[in-house]
Amino acid sequence: MSELDRRDFLKLVGVGAGAAATACAEPVEKLVPYVEQPESITPGIAVWYASTCTECPAACGLHVRTREGRPVKLEGNPDHPINQGKLCGRGQTSLGRTYLPDRYPQPMVRGAGGSLEPSTWDDAMAQLAAKLASARGRTWILGGTVGPSLGGVIDQFAVAAGANRIVYEPFAHEALRKGTEAVFGVASLPIFDPSQADLIIDLGSDFLSTGLSPTENARQYADARNVNTDKTGGTRMISFGPRLNFTTTSADQWIPAKAGSEAAIAFALAKAVVAAKGTPEGVDAAGVQRFLSGANMAQAATAAGLEPGELSAVAEALLHAKNPVILPPGVAYTGSQATSTVAAVMLANALLGAVGKSLVVPPATGTNDAASLADLKVLVAAMKAGRVDVLLIHDSNPVYSLPPELGFTEALGKVGTVVSFASLQDETAESAGLVLPDHTPMESWGDSAPRPGIRSIVQPTVRPLLDTRALGDSLLELGRGLGGAMAEGSFHNVVENNWSDVNWRQALAQGGIFSEVVIEPVGISGDFAGLGYSASSASGKGEFALVAFPHHFLSDGRGAALPWLQEIPDPVTKLQWNSWVEMSFESAKRLDVGFGDVVEVETPSGKIEASVFPRGGIRDDTIAVPIGQGHSVGLYASMEGEGEHGGWIHGPIGAEGQPGVARGANVIALLPATQDEMGGRVWGGAQASVTKTGRFRRLALSQWTDNQRGRELAQSTSLAELAGHGSDHGSGHGAHHDEPPHTFTAAYDADPDQPYRWGMVIDNDRCNGCSACVAACYVENNIPVVGETQAIQHRDMAWIRIERYVGDGDLEGGAARRPVPNREKLGELDVRYIPMPCQQCGAAPCEAVCPTLATYHNKEGLNGMVYNRCAGTRYCANNCVYKVRRFNYFDYGNENFPGLLGLMLNPDVTVRQQGVMEKCSFCVQRIEGARQPAKDEGREIRDGEVKTACQQACPTHAITFGNLRDDASKVVEAGNHPERSYHLLQELNTRPAITYLAQVTRDENEGNH
Amino acid sequence: MAPPATAVADSLASPERPRDSRANIDIMAPTHGVQWPYFLALGAAVLGVLQALTVLLYQTYVGLGVAGYQQPVFWGVYIVTFVFWIGIGHAGTLISAILFLFRAKWRNAVNRGAEALTVFAVITAALFPILHLGRIWKLYFLIPYPNQRALWVNFKSPLLWDVFAISTYASISIVFFYIGLIPDIAIARDRATGVKKAIYTVLALGWQGTGPQWKAHSRSILHLSGLATPLVLSVHSVVSWDFAMSIVPGWHATIFAPYFVAGAVFGGFAMVINILIPVRRIFRLERYLTEYHFENMSRFILFTSTICGYAYAAEYFIAWYSGVEYEQTTFWLRAFGPYWISTWCMITFNVIFPQLLWIKKLRTNLPFLFVLCLFINLGMWFERYVIIIGSLSRDYISGSWGIYVISPVELSVLAGSFCWFSMWFLLFLKVFPVIAITEVKELEIHARDHGGAH
Repeated sequence: MSELDRRDFLKLVGVGAGAAATACAEPVEKLVPYVEQPESITPGIAVWYASTCTECPAACGLHVRTREGRPVKLEGNPDHPINQGKLCGRGQTSLGRTYLPDRYPQPMVRGAGGSLEPSTWDDAMAQLAAKLASARGRTWILGGTVGPSLGGVIDQFAVAAGANRIVYEPFAHEALRKGTEAVFGVASLPIFDPSQADLIIDLGSDFLSTGLSPTENARQYADARNVNTDKTGGTRMISFGPRLNFTTTSADQWIPAKAGSEAAIAFALAKAVVAAKGTPEGVDAAGVQRFLSGANMAQAATAAGLEPGELSAVAEALLHAKNPVILPPGVAYTGSQATSTVAAVMLANALLGAVGKSLVVPPATGTNDAASLADLKVLVAAMKAGRVDVLLIHDSNPVYSLPPELGFTEALGKVGTVVSFASLQDETAESAGLVLPDHTPMESWGDSAPRPGIRSIVQPTVRPLLDTRALGDSLLELGRGLGGAMAEGSFHNVVENNWSDVNWRQALAQGGIFSEVVIEPVGISGDFAGLGYSASSASGKGEFALVAFPHHFLSDGRGAALPWLQEIPDPVTKLQWNSWVEMSFESAKRLDVGFGDVVEVETPSGKIEASVFPRGGIRDDTIAVPIGQGHSVGLYASMEGEGEHGGWIHGPIGAEGQPGVARGANVIALLPATQDEMGGRVWGGAQASVTKTGRFRRLALSQWTDNQRGRELAQSTSLAELAGHGSDHGSGHGAHHDEPPHTFTAAYDADPDQPYRWGMVIDNDRCNGCSACVAACYVENNIPVVGETQAIQHRDMAWIRIERYVGDGDLEGGAARRPVPNREKLGELDVRYIPMPCQQCGAAPCEAVCPTLATYHNKEGLNGMVYNRCAGTRYCANNCVYKVRRFNYFDYGNENFPGLLGLMLNPDVTVRQQGVMEKCSFCVQRIEGARQPAKDEGREIRDGEVKTACQQACPTHAITFGNLRDDASKVVEAGNHPERSYHLLQELNTRPAITYLAQVTRDENEGNH
Repeated sequence: MAPPATAVADSLASPERPRDSRANIDIMAPTHGVQWPYFLALGAAVLGVLQALTVLLYQTYVGLGVAGYQQPVFWGVYIVTFVFWIGIGHAGTLISAILFLFRAKWRNAVNRGAEALTVFAVITAALFPILHLGRIWKLYFLIPYPNQRALWVNFKSPLLWDVFAISTYASISIVFFYIGLIPDIAIARDRATGVKKAIYTVLALGWQGTGPQWKAHSRSILHLSGLATPLVLSVHSVVSWDFAMSIVPGWHATIFAPYFVAGAVFGGFAMVINILIPVRRIFRLERYLTEYHFENMSRFILFTSTICGYAYAAEYFIAWYSGVEYEQTTFWLRAFGPYWISTWCMITFNVIFPQLLWIKKLRTNLPFLFVLCLFINLGMWFERYVIIIGSLSRDYISGSWGIYVISPVELSVLAGSFCWFSMWFLLFLKVFPVIAITEVKELEIHARDHGGAH
């Protein structure tokens, strides 16, 4: 330390503990903390940095909470205009990418034996540089969407190396871009804002789940339907689709149209709109007529399997609404006429006045846009012809996500050198000759410009944990080696220089530069050449229409590496960890299969095997399989990391702990490598046949029934009842149940001398079931992921879960040993989500029965849990009426955070030992975190100072937490809706601290009455 | 039927060993010599215990996940088996204490076996709440002991009551058993040589059979009977409150205490019969354990079976009559849900089969009784299984409903518990007389002096 003076030493300490520990080797980079700017790291005090989420193209702003130099929690950046402080489950858990044990620790080179062997950066880069030097014109770069700075470096490198660059995203939304271009002449992805619409016609977009900006849209949708302020119930949504998907469960009406009929419906609606509104000035009316000539309302209804009246009623509603909008089909329903479909939808939207309001068309950015399937075909052809010497692959996994029919994997064999920049093991990297691992987003610099006026920075929050190197730096070095005109300095400098027009430190601190930019309105240019609708027949001869839909968490498969996303149940089916084949009960009966029976699904393109999940919410002529599973590489993505504990209980699920064995099946294998009119990738339209294999492989189903048996767990009320409320208190939503035996005020369930009684209000009408809260809770509270074998045995450790019920329920069912949810009905919608954390009862059944007082009532009304005192009798869990207690059957705390994952643990929360009980604590560590500053300042904890992790994450603001003793608090205000509020199972007099607000049924035709 | 003592009244003196009595010789016979079936059984029992110990070590090491627990079923076979063995432990004290107080002289031939069964059943039962703990090594947390951290236990918890109820019951049972044994140990002492004699001498506490000693002995027995009698009722009542004090549908019922006590006596008597029939045959004790005893025990079984039947019916009736959907659903699904086999086994074995005992011929048909009692024991195990698993798997939040499947680990521990119990009982047979010699003699003398008439 002699050459280090005091000033430098303090500087080093200021950038982080990790930096101080390794202050040598590489130049020190300075990180600028956001909320607090400590002179040095104070152990026990979190430091927050602003960054940007790179998990999906929405580019939400992040606040990274770091403790002692390592990020432990991601939260939304409240200043960021897109997500406004909220973050979805995928974003929450993307933190884990930095700590996953299956990261590449250093560069890997394929050795003589054919396997990847560890190498050094010098060797690997020298090897690649030599290859690149001789591969001018024969080098290709294939990779996912990246930020402008990295994109710029890649482009510079491409020039230096004489390389072709293809931006590849499995969900590239080519049709959306091309269809928008056809109508408005602008090749960009429209920005949707549900809060500006009063009627949404959803043609299967699934915008709340896997759309372009789900966190933002979920907030806007919930705000647009705020029954507290808008007695009409706000925006309505009519959702089309053969399957009850995530977004449809939040709709007001579900029209179960056949898969593949989206184009017909879109054209029929567009035609009706054009007929009513006429073609606007300056648009070639004949062209529009020609474009719409194939459309026909009656024929569309037939194609969709609907009554003609149903469809024309939707058209009527569209024309009568003030601000209607039609959302084009999402990935799952992207068919062979996808671009035309989008064009028809956009044409109608323009005529309906939606464009510029609920749909904004931003200017095209051009660069960095994802390529279409047609472009990829060019690459594959070049590869097959041996015209590719070096293929650089970054931020994507084409071996997994391209249809096998395309022949990409075989073509890889003809490429001289395949280089992967993957930080995590995946199928593509494992078939590469050279792996130059990139930093993870938490370790990287970068930026993002998701839409006009919004620029945000990706800021590293931890020193690289392993011997990895930023993709930008690798390319800069390689480019310079090739004599190219590369930007100056390191990639960090490149990013900083690109931001030289603004105050860099200020931008870093707030996460970017956010300004209101008025987007120029676009006019209809209407170039419909090559577009139009013609009734088409589906490909393949199978009896079922195959719907391959993006998994809510796994998306295009990139989420599969994150164990949390595997374990948190899919919000719609409540299935975990594996692939499934959804089919109707009728189809299952016909095929003589039931829950968990393995079937073979075959299309002309391929076949897969997966277990059946029968459900009511899918058409008889349709089967659905989620995209995202079927990885054969990765600790959690494949079966490699699956433990064997207890597998014998339901029979072994097979292949536990075996590397190379896929978890579930990759449905992409069933899809043809076809493209739409404009070269975009087609995901829908395949026909499949299904045969029974006779084998059984149990699925991990976290909730066995959607029948609440009239127990009023998830209550519902109607607008009429809400309106009628007030004069007769007893006949509100609770008209069908008697007065509770005891009325109580949760605020009294604490020590009378205490200023606090912590409580929560959960608005089920705002909850859309997205499970971001669950993910936040996992990360915040060090909750172990237990794996599929254990999940099958209902041993997941979630402290908060989203229960999902359909309707009020009846007394049927419950007798089977393998129950499955069965109350969904085609075309009916009464799905009710109810988040279930510990209710922190005032008179808690768990407390009385614990022999050791390990669970006890604290002075502020919380049910405390002293892990050290727990002997593990589990009586508390038996007696908990809400079933929120979780038991450590194995030593999850040690075994289930392998490798680096232990560094991700939140130091404020105890890691639980084998044999102890645990449960939601209302994030007591956050309460205590707020208490000390309050004490120092001689005041009480302010309202809003404590946010539980679930509340903080919830995109729709469905959760409010606070002090029930404080009459001015938000939580008291939020709960003050007697017409909707209820306590769960209040007749048991457990006096819970959580008040639920009943969901509101907005239309008479909704629900199954 | 006359007490069997009259039949042996003339045999007080043995022709071979005039200074010894025939009862001494017959009843002490099992304690020496080599009976192959005995050693085979003992060997099997010890092996069974060893395998269960191994499995338990494994379970403790890797965690309770190797048992079949699945949310929401947090108690499984271990608690089922705990209640089962506690129930078994009831017959002994009932026979020793309550029937003693009621002067039911026929109990004298069976009370020793029944007391031993009680002690060993309680020892077996007491293991289960321990080995079902998540952290066995924190067992002492359940005991209120003064400590500088001022940690105390929760006296509101039925589990804590259990700790006291079981430990009290176990200590009284052991003392009762031992005091009753003293005169017989003295007999063994007088007949033994070498090391055995030394051990018996210590255990006999200087028993000489003097008048004051007999007086003190019978006073002790009387007082201990008085102490033990309420325990017979209390211990299983307390165990039942583990369930009744909770809020779980199907558990939260006032009928539980009497229902469990009746079931315990019922199951306990069945186990006594199951054990004494082979013992009687293997050790040729037919003279002392006669059909008369078995018929009396059969009557008890018939009586308690009927009480159980009433309790089952009352549970279902109240579940329906209460109008509470949670209760109704739980009970409906007990009978027609995933555990219907257990429920119908329970009803058939515990209520329907024992009704055959109305037939006098069957009451004295030992092979029939043996088989019937096996079924009753199975039925009583199922009863607890139905109550525990049936209720837990179908409680308030229907979305959290689950199922429970017994794991191989639990099965081997269950089997091990029978081996553990058998091991102790077999060792007891080899060391102490299985029939209370002095009490049989008392009966014989009584019969000789009074011509057998009471």
